[in-house]
Amino acid sequence: MINESRIKLMTRLAAYEGGEGKKSMAIGTYFKGDYIAKEVMKSIVFATIVYCIVIGAYIVYDFEKLVKDIYDMDLLQLGKTLLKRYLIFTGAYAFITYVVYLIRYKKARHSLRIYYNNLRRLNAMYKKE
Amino acid sequence: MVQLLTAREWLKNLYSRYENFCRPALKFLLALISMMMINSKLGYSQALKSGAVTLIIALMCSFLPLNFIVTLSALIVLLQLYALSLESVIVAGVIMLVMMLLYFRFAAKDTVLIMLTPLSFILGVPYVIPLCAGLVAAPSSVVSTGCGVVVYYMLKAITVNRQTLLNMEEETLLEKLRFLADAIIGNREMMVCVAAFGITIIVVYVIRRLSVDHAWTIAIITGMLVDVMVVLMGDLRFETRINVASLVFGSLLALVVAEILQFFIFNVDYSRTEKVQFEDDEYYYYVKAVPKNTVTLSEPKVKKIKGQEKKPLPKKEEAAEEPVQPAEDKKDAPEYRVRRSTATRDKAMAELEEIRKTAAARNRRPAPGKKKRGNT
Repeated sequence: MINESRIKLMTRLAAYEGGEGKKSMAIGTYFKGDYIAKEVMKSIVFATIVYCIVIGAYIVYDFEKLVKDIYDMDLLQLGKTLLKRYLIFTGAYAFITYVVYLIRYKKARHSLRIYYNNLRRLNAMYKKE
Repeated sequence: MVQLLTAREWLKNLYSRYENFCRPALKFLLALISMMMINSKLGYSQALKSGAVTLIIALMCSFLPLNFIVTLSALIVLLQLYALSLESVIVAGVIMLVMMLLYFRFAAKDTVLIMLTPLSFILGVPYVIPLCAGLVAAPSSVVSTGCGVVVYYMLKAITVNRQTLLNMEEETLLEKLRFLADAIIGNREMMVCVAAFGITIIVVYVIRRLSVDHAWTIAIITGMLVDVMVVLMGDLRFETRINVASLVFGSLLALVVAEILQFFIFNVDYSRTEKVQFEDDEYYYYVKAVPKNTVTLSEPKVKKIKGQEKKPLPKKEEAAEEPVQPAEDKKDAPEYRVRRSTATRDKAMAELEEIRKTAAARNRRPAPGKKKRGNT
């Protein structure tokens, strides 16, 4: 005999496993700190690449002027300024990443909790029969 | 209104029933339109411009994820620009790479907006995007829309300055790059558009989430006004020379499109709003429930009448002479009506005439026990 409520529950579980659940389960395998640290590290790498691209583009854009003024420049001061800007840019980007992935982690854990509760209910239904 | 709701339900049912076909078809259309637009605006490579290639790419996109269409479009733009000049590829490539690295690892779902925004500009309806994005997307779509605006103005700058670029043969690569970068970065109109779209999306998003009646309509109208105002203020401040008539008409068109979107997504009946209040051990709940406007489509009932196989009709003379005696099981069959002879018809007519006469005679006689009005 087909149990209608069980079928509904199984359909919901299957839909979750096939869609949103895939990502949530992948996130659920990490501890919160590990997951966020991994994403922040990735962001730092990306931010560094972008910063290098922007600096490279700026050098290309102002190449002639740079070549002309290179001997008059305070290179140490320039290096400090560039480093400061890099830290500000990367820090801001890492902070945004932290907030975004913290929210994502919480949402994923919440949806996983609901999923496991539903699994338990399904198990109870089977035992009842 | 009921007809519109019925049409909406019918469309929804149609989509859900044929979803497996509708989604690839829609993707195909999106890819085809975007490829055609790219080719019409940047048709520098004849190989990519050909109809067969466009069609093959669009067909391929119909079975691939949506983000792939965006990536492929970006690739085709770069290839088209390569046919124009190396400098334009470098500039466009750097801008696109920075966008992808910084933003699209966060919001992969929003990538389609980066393609829809330039498309809307080319189609002459750019103000539709901020209103619709504010209604259906998250506030993070501000960045996607902004990226889309940058892509459009970048391509526009390259297209407008194409001849100048080609004439700069004697200049070095660096000079050309600087020229293009200045044309893109120094575009005040682009900055005004990015700001206007961003502010509009946030305003629309915030208002449509309010718990007031007609929040979506208020959000749409307010968003439209804010958009127009920011663009006009930007025009006054930076002298961007925006066409005011096109701004007004474009905004009105955006209003209409947003209303249509509202009809499909958020169609509720505020006159039947219910406010309930209850509590449990931990919370008090103040709930406002607004019912959706829905109609249930009645399934058309098809009654199948099983008749026997058609026999050839008898000739008129024969039919008139031989009255056909219908069999009991054929009484309801359509063939029976066809085969009814003229003799039977005459008999039926005579019976009908008799019934009419009887009824007329009965009507003339006053009903027993029924008094006429006024005879007291």
